[in-house]
Amino acid sequence: MALVTFLPRFFPMAFLTRWVLPEKVKKGLEYFPISILSAIVFPILFFNGDGRMEVQPPPLLSAIPVFLFAWKVRSLWGSVILGMAIYWGLGFVL
Amino acid sequence: MDSRGFKEGAKAALPIVFGYLPVGMAFGVLARNAGLTTLEAGSMSLLVYAGASQFIAVEMISKGMVWLPIVITTFFINLRHLLMSSTLSLYFNGNRIQTLGLLSAQLTDESFAVAMSNTSKIENRPGYLFGLQITSHIAWITGSVGGALLGGLIDHESYGIPFALPALFICLLIIQIRKVHHFYIMVIAGISSLFFKWALPGNWYIILTALLASGVGIVIEKKLIPSPSTGEGEGGGEK
Repeated sequence: MALVTFLPRFFPMAFLTRWVLPEKVKKGLEYFPISILSAIVFPILFFNGDGRMEVQPPPLLSAIPVFLFAWKVRSLWGSVILGMAIYWGLGFVL
Repeated sequence: MDSRGFKEGAKAALPIVFGYLPVGMAFGVLARNAGLTTLEAGSMSLLVYAGASQFIAVEMISKGMVWLPIVITTFFINLRHLLMSSTLSLYFNGNRIQTLGLLSAQLTDESFAVAMSNTSKIENRPGYLFGLQITSHIAWITGSVGGALLGGLIDHESYGIPFALPALFICLLIIQIRKVHHFYIMVIAGISSLFFKWALPGNWYIILTALLASGVGIVIEKKLIPSPSTGEGEGGGEK
């Protein structure tokens, strides 16, 4: 497991730092973080634990304030604590 | 080594630590339930260090699967790191192979996202990235070992703990939006991810969404930022 996890992590850094990538590919890679973060975040809000599509009120309702807070304040710590607090609180209400 | 960069990186890792300790503990507990020893759980977190695949592997082990499907599944789940590594490589041109080996081995979704939230900090500063990653890694191992040892003492479903990492990701995502078209890419990526996850099994949706949205990004950017016309008539230059 360790080996197959390590290799895809290592090879790009080992080889791509030595070559200059074509402009288009570079631009695409720069969009990669946004794309993958969206791909990670959105399903959490709309899929349940069994992998079925179903609106998830607790994470969805917790996510909205966190989105706004992160937009205005841009604090990682703050977002995490805020999100946890709201999610925990919602657990008592929902 | 650049120790100031290291300390900066370690500090930047604190929100990740906050998420990794409880999730690591949850992993430790699950690993024990699946029959792994504390040493085995800790080693997995030390050597593999990839949350999603570790959880899935442990579940497969508890169902009595042989090693081959587990290894193959791990490979595909962690394939997205190939693209993350490629993105990071943009900032480490010309570094020594040992450095790159060390940095790439500790690549995770969270440390990648934090690294990308402020690329000026990582640009050619392996010390910073190393500080960031090793702090996170140690938190993960600590959590795993702690969870394996302490078993079910803390309720992992409570205290908002399950939302710690999602909240972190949301903030990191927002930080990436620096221009208007980034917002549209996020929406497109978000909707595509929902579609792909619904349509396809496993974690394929992550890589497909990433490729699709990145591709859309390139196209949008081309339309928004017309490239300057190259050369004007016979002018050109002396060369």
